[in-house]
Amino acid sequence: MSHAIRADKFLLDADRTTWHDETLWFVREKRDRAVYAVPEFQELRELASGIKNHTLSRLDLYLREFESAAQANGVYVHWAADAAEHNAIILDIIQKEGATRIVKSKSMLTEECHLNPFLIKHGIEVVDTDLGERIIQFRDEPPSHIVLPAIHLKKEDVGDTFHTHLGTDKGESDPQRLTEAARQHLRAKFIAGEVAISGVNFAIAETGAVVVCTNEGNADLGVNLARVHIAAMGIEKIIPRLSDLGVFTRLLARSATGQPVTTYTSHFTKPAPGKAMHIVIVDNGRTQQLGRPDFRASLKCIRCGACMNTCPVYRRSGGHSYDFTVPGPIGAILSPNIDMKKHASLPFASTLCGSCTDVCPVKIDIHTQLYKWRQVLGEANEIPASKKWSMKFMGRVLASTRVYGLGGQFARKALRLLPHGLTHAPSMNAWAVARELPEAPKQSFREWYAKQPQPAVQPTQPQIPA
Amino acid sequence: MSTASRERILAAAKANKPEELPLPTVPDFGGEATIERFTTVLTGIGGTVVRMAALDELEETLQQLFPEARNTSSPLFRGTVPVNSQTPTGILAEIDLAVLPGEIGVAENGAVWLPEANMLHRALPTITQHLALVLDHRRIVATMHQAYAQLPHTGGYGKFVAGPSKTADIEQSLVIGAHGARSLVVVLY
Repeated sequence: MSHAIRADKFLLDADRTTWHDETLWFVREKRDRAVYAVPEFQELRELASGIKNHTLSRLDLYLREFESAAQANGVYVHWAADAAEHNAIILDIIQKEGATRIVKSKSMLTEECHLNPFLIKHGIEVVDTDLGERIIQFRDEPPSHIVLPAIHLKKEDVGDTFHTHLGTDKGESDPQRLTEAARQHLRAKFIAGEVAISGVNFAIAETGAVVVCTNEGNADLGVNLARVHIAAMGIEKIIPRLSDLGVFTRLLARSATGQPVTTYTSHFTKPAPGKAMHIVIVDNGRTQQLGRPDFRASLKCIRCGACMNTCPVYRRSGGHSYDFTVPGPIGAILSPNIDMKKHASLPFASTLCGSCTDVCPVKIDIHTQLYKWRQVLGEANEIPASKKWSMKFMGRVLASTRVYGLGGQFARKALRLLPHGLTHAPSMNAWAVARELPEAPKQSFREWYAKQPQPAVQPTQPQIPA
Repeated sequence: MSTASRERILAAAKANKPEELPLPTVPDFGGEATIERFTTVLTGIGGTVVRMAALDELEETLQQLFPEARNTSSPLFRGTVPVNSQTPTGILAEIDLAVLPGEIGVAENGAVWLPEANMLHRALPTITQHLALVLDHRRIVATMHQAYAQLPHTGGYGKFVAGPSKTADIEQSLVIGAHGARSLVVVLY
C-alpha cells in the first residue's frame, strides 16, 4: 500500500486534517521564534553538522572510545547487529534480573525494533511512561510523530481512552485533568518498576555517559527508582566531547518545540551504588547507510521532528500514512535503506520544496536525498508502472522541441473537445483527482510569438572566438 | 552473539565511513549572563525566581513560599524527612518539597545544573511534588557552552533542570506537572 492511499484515509476527516495541519504549523512557528532569538543559531547548525560529519568519519574509533569509557564507569556494554539481537539482549537482561515490571521512557529505537510486543509475548509487562506514548500504547497504535507521539489524536479521543483504561469520567476531556489521571496511574508504575528502559539522545565518547532529554521527567523517575537501567542507542548517537553538548542542547528543543531547552537534560554516567546500568549499541542497517555516500548524512539526525512540523505533505497526511517508525521527510530518507520495496512510495511523499532542509538543525540535505532516492528507486524498478511510463513518456516529449510543440497542439485541442468526464477521469489522469486542468488557450506562446512583426533592427550576432 | 556483532559493527563502520573530516572548534559566543535574563526565561517556561539577600534567609523564604509543605527534605537545613541514597521509594514518594543546591544557572534557557552530590537521592528531584533549587547568583552564565566549560565532570549522574515537569501531549495543551515536580522555584542569593 502506498503513502498516497494511506493518506487518503487520514484525509477523510477534513476538520481533523485541518486541525493537524494548523497545530503542527503552530509548532513550526514556535520553533522560528525560539530560533530567531539566538543570533548565532545558523553558526550552531553549521557546528552541529560539522561535529556529526567528523564523528561519522571516525565512527568506529569513537564507538571504541565510548565503550571503554562506559566500561570504566562500571556499565555493561552490549552490541546488537539488528532488531532481533537488540530485543534478545534486553529480554535476557530482564530475565536474569527475574524482573517482570518494566517502565520505559521514549525511545524511537525500541519502536524501530518492535521491542514492546516482543517483551509482552515473553510475559513481561512494559509500560510506556511518556504521556503521549502511554496514550497510544493503550490504543495499540504506533506513534505518529517522533516528538509528539499522539498528535493525531484529539483530547476527546484521549478522554475516551482514559475512561476505558484509567476509569476517568466519561466525557472528561480536560487536558489538565487527564494528565493528572495519568500522573497518578504512572506514579504507581514508576514505584513498582524493577527495570527501566530508556532511549539515548546523545552518547559522549569522552566520558561514556548517555544523555537523555525529556520534559516530563519520566526517564529520570523510571531509571532512578528501578534496580536496573537499560539504555538503547543507535551507533549514530555518539558525539566526541562533553563540550559538544553545548551545541546540541541549544539546538534540539528549540528546533523541536520552540522551547529554549528540554526541562530535563540528564547525564547518566555510572550506575548508583548497588544498581546496574546496561547500554545496548545497535546497528540495524546504520553501517549500511554509512556506506552510501548520497545518504549517509541522514545518520546526523538528532530526532527533533522539525522537518515533520514544517512539511506540507506530513502536516496534511499524518504520521501513520508513512507506515514507518520515523515518519515525515527524515523517515522518507531513512526507510528505503531498511526496506526499499516496502517503503518505495515514501520519497515521493514530498513536494521537494526544501523546507525540511531549511529547518534541519544538523543541516541534512533532506530534500536532495529524497530526490536521489527517487533515482535509486527508478533504477531498481520499484516505482509503479503508471508513474514509470508516464515519466518516460514525458521525458521523450520534453527532450524534443518538435514533439513538445505537437504535443501541446494535441493537448489543447483534446482539452477543448473531449468531455470533462474523460479528461478528468481518475483512472486516466491521477493529477486531476483533486485538481482542475486549466482552460486550454487557442494558441501557445510560441505560436503567438511567431506571428508578431519582426523587430526592425536585427541584434548583432556575438562573435564566437575560434 | 554480542561479541561477534561488536566485531562486525566496528568493522562495517570502519569500512563504510567517509574520509576523515575535521572536528570543529566550538567558540564561546558570549551572551547575556544576567539575573534579569535568567529570570525572564525561567518565568517564561513555568518556573519561578525568588531573590533573597543571604543564604540564612532560606528557611524563612521557603516558609512563605510553601506554607503547607509537611514532608520536606534538604541538605541545606533540617527538613522533616532525612533522605540518603538508601532511602526506600515509599518514603521518597511522600515528599512534598525538596530543597537542593544548584551549581550553575544558564541565562539563555533557565536551566540549573544539579549534580548527584547535591540530590540526596537520585530520584528526589523528580519524585518530590515541589522542587526548590538554591543558587548563588554569581554562578549564572550566559549559555550552555559556558555551563559545560565550567563543569569539571558530570559525576555518576547529574542534570540540567529547566522549570517544572510538563507535557503538551494532549492536543498540544501545555500542562505543568507531568510526572516530575509540579513546580520549580529557583531561590537566588
